[in-house]
Amino acid sequence: MNHSILSASALLLGTSALFGQGSAFQTPGMPRQVYGPPKEGTSQDNSGQASRFSSVFNPAFSFVGDIVGDYRSGGEEVGWNAELRALEFGAQAWVDPTAWAYFTAVSDGESLDIEEAALHYKGLGERHTLRVGKFFLDFGKQMQTHIHELRTLERPLVLREYLGDEVSGTGVQWDHWFSANDTTAVRFSLGAFSSLLPEHEHGEEEEPEAEAEVAGRKSIGNLNYSARVTGFTDVGTNGTLQLGTSARIVPDFAFVDEDGGGEVGGLDNTVWGLDVTYGWKDETATKSFTAGLEFLVNSGDVGAELGAAPGDAPIVADGTRTGWLLFADHGLDPNNSIGLQISMAELADADKTEALEIEAYYTRYLSEFHRLRFGLSTLDVDGADESFRAAVQYTFFVGAHGHGVNW
Amino acid sequence: MRLLTLLALVLLGLSAQAAEKLKVVTSIPDLADLSRRIGGDRVEVQSICKGLENPHFVSVKPSHLVAMSRADVFVQVGLSLEVAFVPGLLENCGNARIQPGRPGFINASDGFAAIDIPGQVDRKLGDVHPQGNPHMNLSVEGGAVMAANILKGLCAIDPAHKADYEARHAAWTRELEAAQQRWKKLGEGWKGRKVCVYHQEHAYLIRGYGLVTLGSVEPQPGIPPTPASLASLIATLRKEKDVCLLAVAWARRSELEEVRNQAGVTLVELPNMCAGLPGTESWIEMMDLLHKRLAEAFGPQKGT
Repeated sequence: MNHSILSASALLLGTSALFGQGSAFQTPGMPRQVYGPPKEGTSQDNSGQASRFSSVFNPAFSFVGDIVGDYRSGGEEVGWNAELRALEFGAQAWVDPTAWAYFTAVSDGESLDIEEAALHYKGLGERHTLRVGKFFLDFGKQMQTHIHELRTLERPLVLREYLGDEVSGTGVQWDHWFSANDTTAVRFSLGAFSSLLPEHEHGEEEEPEAEAEVAGRKSIGNLNYSARVTGFTDVGTNGTLQLGTSARIVPDFAFVDEDGGGEVGGLDNTVWGLDVTYGWKDETATKSFTAGLEFLVNSGDVGAELGAAPGDAPIVADGTRTGWLLFADHGLDPNNSIGLQISMAELADADKTEALEIEAYYTRYLSEFHRLRFGLSTLDVDGADESFRAAVQYTFFVGAHGHGVNW
Repeated sequence: MRLLTLLALVLLGLSAQAAEKLKVVTSIPDLADLSRRIGGDRVEVQSICKGLENPHFVSVKPSHLVAMSRADVFVQVGLSLEVAFVPGLLENCGNARIQPGRPGFINASDGFAAIDIPGQVDRKLGDVHPQGNPHMNLSVEGGAVMAANILKGLCAIDPAHKADYEARHAAWTRELEAAQQRWKKLGEGWKGRKVCVYHQEHAYLIRGYGLVTLGSVEPQPGIPPTPASLASLIATLRKEKDVCLLAVAWARRSELEEVRNQAGVTLVELPNMCAGLPGTESWIEMMDLLHKRLAEAFGPQKGT
């Protein structure tokens, strides 16, 4: 009897271990290891022509390091600093002939965030893509891009203020493009997400503030939506012109004072943008010039300040704020570029305080896989001291790096 | 009335004939030239890359995306030469006809014996290509291989005009054979001649003619030189005589000038692809100019 109990226990333990690690073979009733049509008359699991020990179908991996050292003066932060701004780890692979998937996990050395984890489904037909999962907002020319891949050290002021440093949402987005003529392509995207507000970065708050939050459960009308239409066309033999318009719609959200407990809900916000970009390269494609303008309108409930006392509801600022960014970049050769970016925004306070940010940079591509950037920037906010920053950024890319950024 | 009907029928016939043309997109102009030669009036051909560009860093334009979406045939060199722009275009164009494995996808280097295949693929080797040196379009033997693959692809996708394609291919092959005789004669005295290169695009010619490479401005393929690597190269070249520095239009002029002036070498600007430098509209013309410039640089009396 004891022997039987021991045998049964051993069998159960063994079975548990098999399920935990993936079964070596399948018996009737066991869950399939890989979804797909079962293989009749065989004891093998349906693992896509590979055993569980095979690495031949492994995804492509990459990692990126982004290190910034800087000196600031004149603002709230003064002095020297150096930080590992981002260590990004990513993987991507085709799931089957109709879809590929990827994820991007980013750490600043203290926490690890999954910034993107999405699948691109191509089975809807030619030039259609359905993107499902968590991924960056398709807005303007920059918001799909991670900060370490920007042309500048930071996201421009107007985008930071109206949309956020990095905005990713969990949802679904449909992309389609078509040709308007032989030299013009037009793309549009429509997306619906649980939230398109920037995620709070706990641990980085320097002082308490009202945080914008979208409810977890909501009606379909209160999902967050994105839309973009963009067209680009040849200009002569060496130039390209792109025009685009984008919108982010948050129909219902709340400002929350997480420390004091106050909250005000039933708010809405829409950001609309217009972008124009011109790019040119010489006959050898070694010298380049790129210039662009983005104009944004932020309307609805645009910001909030904490209430006077703990527990008071935040004081919401509403109305319309406008801002813009303008940049010019000159590629001296494939390894060196210089540029200037200017951004202005009406801030989300009741007074519509204006802020102006100017950044100049020089980028040296040490090779295709790492780069060094020197930047100088100033931020001038009405009624406050002008702040200055000098920074060095070093970024390296290892492996098959990519995010599926669309044009 | 009869005349109008006849005219309409003629126009309809011409229109139908035009509509039947295969739309061919090629990655580089060399393949466009060969596609035109073999396809004749059966094809409309467009190249993505221009003749003076670096094929490793081509910027995609809207017209490229539109052309790829409409193409019946896409021709690439392969060997990862166009990895910077072709995979993205193929994925985004949404054209199933020209995807790898389909009849409309032609890999022009199929069957070509590439050189410099790395034993271990590592970024320490620079912008290394796992399948070997991809610049087979600058190999004397490369033209025949590219043309054969284009012929095979066009015949597979348009078998009704196979005889036309084969006849044009045969005519082009005769031109090639005559050109190869010219090139062979020019290159007879080149064995042992010393060269320095900027990039590795002429490696097939260097090996084929027995030239001796003393160094490279790029310390590794695709890696820009550092001050130390340039100084080392210049020191090496100063010890030698009669060295030719081989470069193409996209190479950084400042570094070429520095090496030329400090090491006393002869700078030779060579074509990278056809339809770049004047007089290189066809692949054979491009190879003619390449041999001519090398011959001028080496000089007939200097041959060993």
